Amino acid sequence: MRRLCGAVLLIVATVLLAQLNIPIKVTLTMMVAGDQNMVDFFQYEIAPEFEKLYPNVKVKVVGTGPGDAGSQQIIQQLQLEKDSGKDKWAIDLVVIHEAGTIWGIERGLIRPYTDFLTTRRLVTMKTAEVALGVNVDGYVMPMFHSQTAIAYNPRFVKDPPKSYAELVEWVKKNPKKFGYNGIKGGMSGVSFVFGWVYWKSKNPDVLMNGPFDEKYMEDWPQIYAELKEFNKYVTLTAGNAGTLDALNRGEIWMGPVWVDMFYTWIREGRMDPNIRLILPEPGMPGQPMYFAIPTKAANADYALKLIEFVTSPAVHAKYIVDKFNWYPAIGVEYVTPHLGKEVFERLYRDIKEADLLKFGKRMPIADYRTRMLEAYERWVEK
Amino acid sequence: MKRRRELFVGFLLILPALIVLGALYVYPLILSVYTSFTVEGKYGLANYAKAFDIYWRDIIYSVLISFITTVVTLIVSVVVSGYLRFKSWKFLELMYKLPLFIPFLIVGHAMRVFLAPHGTLNNLLTRILRIEELPGLSRSWIGLVWAFVWIMTPYATLIVLGAFRSLDSAYIEAAQNVGASKWKIVVDILIPMCRPSIMVAFILTFVRTISSLTIPIMVGPASPNMITVNMMFRVNYFNDWGTANALGVISYLIVMVFAIYYLRFMAAERGGIKA
Repeated sequence: MRRLCGAVLLIVATVLLAQLNIPIKVTLTMMVAGDQNMVDFFQYEIAPEFEKLYPNVKVKVVGTGPGDAGSQQIIQQLQLEKDSGKDKWAIDLVVIHEAGTIWGIERGLIRPYTDFLTTRRLVTMKTAEVALGVNVDGYVMPMFHSQTAIAYNPRFVKDPPKSYAELVEWVKKNPKKFGYNGIKGGMSGVSFVFGWVYWKSKNPDVLMNGPFDEKYMEDWPQIYAELKEFNKYVTLTAGNAGTLDALNRGEIWMGPVWVDMFYTWIREGRMDPNIRLILPEPGMPGQPMYFAIPTKAANADYALKLIEFVTSPAVHAKYIVDKFNWYPAIGVEYVTPHLGKEVFERLYRDIKEADLLKFGKRMPIADYRTRMLEAYERWVEK
Repeated sequence: MKRRRELFVGFLLILPALIVLGALYVYPLILSVYTSFTVEGKYGLANYAKAFDIYWRDIIYSVLISFITTVVTLIVSVVVSGYLRFKSWKFLELMYKLPLFIPFLIVGHAMRVFLAPHGTLNNLLTRILRIEELPGLSRSWIGLVWAFVWIMTPYATLIVLGAFRSLDSAYIEAAQNVGASKWKIVVDILIPMCRPSIMVAFILTFVRTISSLTIPIMVGPASPNMITVNMMFRVNYFNDWGTANALGVISYLIVMVFAIYYLRFMAAERGGIKA
């Protein structure tokens, strides 16, 4: 009997203790869209460092997968939090794509916060202000910039085409040796298609900056008809990784890839290091990944600290650029002092900074983007 | 009075199952049909118009692929079952069940590497045949059907073999006594007498194929696509649930055609469905 009483008392005491709100212990929950390397980045590199700085904080990282699909999942999760009507949401920090950011702002799922962020001033690219033609100023801080480019195997391709126009000639001479993943298997293919439309369109700047007007789409049927013709000479691969795989096996000799993924694969020994990159004229789009804070995040204060930590020049140089091969989100001049020369030469080996500025395009604004993808389905796939 | 109480207790007993069915199946179904008819808060057929406009070819393609897969699967499973009905072969018995325990994702990836132009199969063939290069099967409809058949066959075989084995041996022995070959017994006795089970295998295989997403994404060609891939694309890239749900409803309807046929077939076979 006495034992039973003791046990009951113990359980009651535990339950009571569990109810106590111990204020200093914080679990910072973040959701991350993007490939596994992004999740690993936060889980194994940033979280331990950040927890050292703030021993009361535990960082919990949840990955939702690559592409806009990953962002879509985060938005759905935030919508659930909003619909629950709770005062404090369980997600403190999210890392999302441009499209996801716009959905988040439209539905009031993320809040403006960058007024309080010191590293915001170090951003030199326009991406912190405009995403897909929508004003996102205040809501986001870029985490890094990623760029697509065309990878080629010098063993088979001695003199790679330097522009889309030369590429069209090249595929006719080397049928099925250029591969991309269409538009349903990942963004490197999508990016290639956008680059194609920029190249052929009479008004590429309007597509990137707006305004939206259907009159700028008049020449599209012709543009896509030519792309359909081009597709007859190419191989369609399975996804971003599929293109890299096929390049590595020698099935294709050229294909559009994400630069960071490409270098990471080389570094991990999953890719032939002799394969090179080229950014063809008139350029291909890249995109940033954004940090955003949910409207009612329970630990917004620590989320802000974490963003500041990752985007500070020293940490940015060490992890974003050196370790993960992403292009920096803040101005290169702030990162350079913290970087070794060889890192710089590795990242800018094939694509020089000047090329990036000249040929690194933006994604089309949201309305054109949707219509470009649909046009591809309608006129190229059918 | 007593009867009413019994009914009430019976109802209580099935209530949990009904709630689960309602919450997890009926409610989402109604919601998805409803969403497929709304565009920005207004009712209309715009989603269906778009679905047919852009994806009509993919819809036909999905039905065709599922149909071919189902037919090939049935042929393979009848052959395997016919063999195992007469002869015991432990190895085959084990091997045909193996794919049951391998997740679709793994099969998708394995097939992708196995059937790729420079993949395992072609590397082997080019070495044996001593030729330069063969076209790959992955990313083509043949590769897709190949992967589907591989994953669907064990399930169908389980059903068909079960039916073959439960059939009274007297029929077979009688046929054997008058000198029928094994092949003739399978075609003229086993298949006709086990028709209901074969129909079940047919419908289950068809439904599982048309609703599969992983395999078409990983092994299928870039275009045309299965309906499921397009649904995913509509949601992920456009946040467009309307058209995705319209496509979903279209695939319900396709499946429904078979379900109705099946019910009527069963009704005819068993002299009507009895309460």
